[in-house]
Amino acid sequence: MTETQPTLQKKICMLGGFGVGKTSLVRRFVESVFSETYLTTVGVKIDKKMVALSDRTITLILWDVAGEDDIAPLRMSYIRGASGYVLVADGTRQPTLDVALSLRHRVEAEYGVLPFVLLLNKSDLREQWQVTAQTLDELPEKGCTARLSSARTGEGVEQAFRDLAAAISR
Amino acid sequence: MRDLPQRVAEILDEAVYRKRGVAYLQIDDANLAVIGAGGDLANYGLEMVRPGQAVLEQAFFLEGLLPLAETPYVLPAVEVARGHSADLHFHRDGKSLWLVLLDVTAECDQSRRMQQKAYEMTLLEEKEAQLNRRLEAVNEELRATQRDLLSSREALQRAHDRIQKELSEAAKYVRSLLPQPLAEPIAADWRFATCSELGGDAFGYHWIDPKHFALYLLDVCGHGVSSCLMSVGILHVLQSASLRDVDFRDPERVLASLNAYYQMINLDDLFFTLWYGVYCPDTRRLDYCSAGHPPALLFERGGVQMRQLGSPSLPIGCVPNASYVGEYVQVPPRSRLYLFSDGAFEIQRPSGAMLSYEEFLDCVRGAAAARDRSDVECLFDGLIGLRGGEALEDDVSIVRFAF
Repeated sequence: MTETQPTLQKKICMLGGFGVGKTSLVRRFVESVFSETYLTTVGVKIDKKMVALSDRTITLILWDVAGEDDIAPLRMSYIRGASGYVLVADGTRQPTLDVALSLRHRVEAEYGVLPFVLLLNKSDLREQWQVTAQTLDELPEKGCTARLSSARTGEGVEQAFRDLAAAISR
Repeated sequence: MRDLPQRVAEILDEAVYRKRGVAYLQIDDANLAVIGAGGDLANYGLEMVRPGQAVLEQAFFLEGLLPLAETPYVLPAVEVARGHSADLHFHRDGKSLWLVLLDVTAECDQSRRMQQKAYEMTLLEEKEAQLNRRLEAVNEELRATQRDLLSSREALQRAHDRIQKELSEAAKYVRSLLPQPLAEPIAADWRFATCSELGGDAFGYHWIDPKHFALYLLDVCGHGVSSCLMSVGILHVLQSASLRDVDFRDPERVLASLNAYYQMINLDDLFFTLWYGVYCPDTRRLDYCSAGHPPALLFERGGVQMRQLGSPSLPIGCVPNASYVGEYVQVPPRSRLYLFSDGAFEIQRPSGAMLSYEEFLDCVRGAAAARDRSDVECLFDGLIGLRGGEALEDDVSIVRFAF
């Protein structure tokens, strides 16, 4: 007889440059909706969602952190206590991938190695992508692989959060 | 309170409390339980917080933050409830941890408006730059395509010039095969024009023997190189009398033999019409035979009387064993004989109306009566003039004999 383990509650952070779709990904994951209107995030927005894994249920506390830009760098204090994070880049804007990879290094420098997933968002706009297949092929050399996602269509969103939830529940 | 008068402290307290929606939680962060709570908790969705209960179940946004070793500690602009943002102030007091929430929703909204504009501008600029790069790439592709086209056009022009030169040389050769005009004892003159560089018309005349003079005009269907090559081949056969066992003084036999040899089924569907005659000056007899060709026109006695010399028959090459019936005519002195290809009378005027055969005959009559200039030149120029300067639609050949 399988013993049901107690519910876990874990904090994860959404990190990435501005306008890459972090808030849209959270809304798609938590509320299954998508809005074409871009609304910037100030500070941090907190949401939660329960995820049923094969052996237990985990409540993810999602910290949707304001995107980094040239003027306002990421406030690292928001990441304190996070069990993992979602790095988000916009496939149609090559520099946002560099921002995401830079954020990963800074997080690891401050809080050590944490589970994370890297999402290349806006896969529905593939014809406008600047991130090339060659760039994606080279990511493993940098210690990560990218998943394609689309907050508009939902592609890859649920699975990314589930996989991160599974990774941080171990 | 920092030496402020009681009343000032009270005013300050009221102002901050009203404006900032102050709420607090007192937490035992060793056991992660709520000790106490108060203030405007509903502003942050914390109205259900109960002392003695687990703090993380009631304030999930604190997950991961507790226990907090270093205080005071501030987390700014945290949207803990939908539409309500707060600065979270953590302060330790002995064993308990105080969390004070100060509402900053208005400041966040203001920042959001400014940030929104700035980000939208930046995103637009990025899009513009991206579009410019794409446009530049497309432009470069267009320039490359234009260069390729130019290069192809030059290559085509070179190929065209080479082919044109070869066609001109071929046309020159074909003209060299045509006979020179004659003055006596039989006068012969002609005009010849092709609608393309090379045509399917050809004609000739020569003495078969001292008593017999052959005269002929042929028209291979179509225009261009293949028609021209075929007409030259036939011209050589007639000029050299190179049909086996054929008496070239017998027009009927000549046409029948040509028909046996030049079957269109073997020759890429090419066939031809031919008017072939043999004139004997001693007897003034003209034997002739036509294979689908327009009749020759014989103007007797200085143009007083005109006869059409033709016979209903099929062009050569259409049907094996087609029969060709020869005829003959006595040619009175001072007669003229005109041979034509169909291009001479199948003429479309600029109005679109076709020249009728009767009108054509009138043109020939008029030209035959010309005294001040060559009748052939007069007829040829008259017919070409009917086109109104338009390019020819078919080859035109006119040959005139005076007996």
